[in-house]
Amino acid sequence: MKPWVVRFFGLTLVLVVVGVVYGCGGSGGILTIDRIGREDAPKTMTVQLNNSYTHQNSTTQSWADGFEKLFTKFAKDYPDWKLDLKIIPDAQTTQEQARLLEEARTGQAPDCANVDSFVVAQFVEQGALKPIDQYFTKEEINGLFPFVRDIVVGDDGKMYAYWWATDVRVLYRRTDLVPEAPRTWDELIRDAKTAEQKDPDVDGYLFNGGRWEGTTFDNLAHFWSQGGELVDAQGKPIFGEGPNRTYMLNELNFLKESVDSGASPKRVATITDYSEFESAAQAQSVAMFQGGDFQYPPLKESLPPEEFNKYDVSLLPTMNPNDPQKTGTGGWTMAAFSDDPEKVKMCMEFTKDVYIGEGNEVTGQLPTNPKYFDTLDRFQAPIYDKFEEALKDGEARPGVPVYPAISQQLQIAIGTVLTGEATPEEALDRAYKNSLSAYEEQKK
Amino acid sequence: MTKRTLAPRALIGENRPTLWMAPLLAVVTLFYLYPAFEVLRYSFTNASLQRPDYAYTLHTYASVLSDPVLYKVIRTTAIFVLASIVLQLVLGLVVAVAANRARRRRLPGMVFVRSVVLSAWVMPGVVIGIVWAIVLNDASYGLANLLFAAAGLGNVPWLSTPSMALISIIIANVWRGTAFSMILQYAGLQSIPDELYEAAEVDGASTLQSFWYITIPQLRPILLINVILITIATLNTFDMILPLTGGGPGQATEVLALRTYNVIFREYSLAGGAVLAVIMLLISLALTVGYQRLLRSEGAL
Repeated sequence: MKPWVVRFFGLTLVLVVVGVVYGCGGSGGILTIDRIGREDAPKTMTVQLNNSYTHQNSTTQSWADGFEKLFTKFAKDYPDWKLDLKIIPDAQTTQEQARLLEEARTGQAPDCANVDSFVVAQFVEQGALKPIDQYFTKEEINGLFPFVRDIVVGDDGKMYAYWWATDVRVLYRRTDLVPEAPRTWDELIRDAKTAEQKDPDVDGYLFNGGRWEGTTFDNLAHFWSQGGELVDAQGKPIFGEGPNRTYMLNELNFLKESVDSGASPKRVATITDYSEFESAAQAQSVAMFQGGDFQYPPLKESLPPEEFNKYDVSLLPTMNPNDPQKTGTGGWTMAAFSDDPEKVKMCMEFTKDVYIGEGNEVTGQLPTNPKYFDTLDRFQAPIYDKFEEALKDGEARPGVPVYPAISQQLQIAIGTVLTGEATPEEALDRAYKNSLSAYEEQKK
Repeated sequence: MTKRTLAPRALIGENRPTLWMAPLLAVVTLFYLYPAFEVLRYSFTNASLQRPDYAYTLHTYASVLSDPVLYKVIRTTAIFVLASIVLQLVLGLVVAVAANRARRRRLPGMVFVRSVVLSAWVMPGVVIGIVWAIVLNDASYGLANLLFAAAGLGNVPWLSTPSMALISIIIANVWRGTAFSMILQYAGLQSIPDELYEAAEVDGASTLQSFWYITIPQLRPILLINVILITIATLNTFDMILPLTGGGPGQATEVLALRTYNVIFREYSLAGGAVLAVIMLLISLALTVGYQRLLRSEGAL
């Protein structure tokens, strides 16, 4: 073969490969691994997103596909803009919020970012976020669940972040072992033990009791349902005094009783991941567990239909039969850090076009405005009526600077109570004392 | 004695170290000394990730040092480090001696054995933590408990009782670190001249006597270096404990490095974390100086 023929075909092959790679980079160059919009677009905005909420999602293909479509449409709708993406691996989102706080502290935060609802208030207090009210109607803001407004609206009445996805804690139970949902803690313990008698291979009731945020958060529902408050209006811890002390002791005694009575195994003190409940369900070794709404789809997918059909979901039991069935809610917001009003506006356009409603439809994560439960196809199954019902009594963690320290202390308190290292009184006193010290440190 | 001068030619002339050391000094200053200085500086402040301003104070030291939790954490760390040193050293030596014997006898499969042992060492700590969390899951479907059940033994509460949880993190750390000890000691064993063993054999020394009077003394410098490296690596370990126990139950497995991580990334106290980092640095330095003195006295012998 003549050399020029080889060169010609070689060059063609290289061009084809480059073209294919460029094309795969995303929709003719308007969506790449780390950019939404054309490279030569005149305006740029930096956006930090969790890996889950991008087209790079590596664990759920349907999410990746859904966000790819939404990002592509957004890029076409706003041809003058390019969004430079910083994508945070899902395993690092907690640490990343601390880094984001540090970046905000030094004025180096991205223009627009995913912010954990649990730390939004700390960014607001730091003055790092820009008000976004003007980009939403009064109805859109007032339509949010009350627990959402409590967090995203600052003391000055302005909204600083749009909380678009939430979740809720509920009680999952196998109806063949526990036909009726327990309404009180006593009924829960009784039903758990009855289930263990019916099937000796099952643990009656599992819950988060290990050293992680889920332990504090999930079990705070038991404290909130009695009317407990962790902090006062100034953000000072008050959970160890007055009636709050009694409520917290009740919670710790309930958790201790669940283990001491045999309703829960001792190993709840090691549970630091919701997936532990799914594993137990797959092994058919649990009768009831306190989990999140987000576990419903994976359970449905992983359990054989006859096994999955045994499960039902109910609101969390309370100490007294008439107590409100409070439940913890978490989730993610979008917030703007930029000083440039045009970028703040674009950040909110991006939030509206990609995440509010659309993002819920893609991910199945619960919307924060009840109207979407009626309008979005994804949330029409009857189970979502229960999740919506639970959200009405939803409670978010207090967005005060001392909350992370309180959470650490309560994790330790619950752990030491479950393992018998400390009595509920000792554990609570220590947790309260250390939380107050942390608060005093922060005030200096 | 030649008089030393500070003339430019004396500093940057030919055969002078300044020029070729400059890049190294720049890298060390930029990537090691400056961050270390920043940690030290933050330790004398009340800096928090939650607010932009901070003030210089000694109060953070007073607060951290007067916290009873610190001493509980130091105790846990001491047990964790000490147990890891002893077990990694002994198990590493056992594997290294076995591997060395196999090499001398030209047994097949030694490369495979070394590769398998090394695989534990190259694995990231987080992965090791996750793997051991699966193995030591307290539930009846945990791998270790499945094996125990098959052997007719009951469930072991690997992670749910404070003492067993501490033992569990030591097991996981030893599993990871033994490979490194083995590599060091295997290299050391290969440097011992065969003539020494042949002479001992001629003198009628038993295997145990050869091991005790030849192998151990010859290996002593390597063992000391190994102890220093295990100490530093174990003191800094938190990535493996985080997915395995998270420091729990309660604070049963919260070592100094994990406490530092929790204080900075979970409680957002930059100053508190910096004080703990300085304490860790001082402990590491004290131990290293102690070991080095020991090493020097070994050299003098």
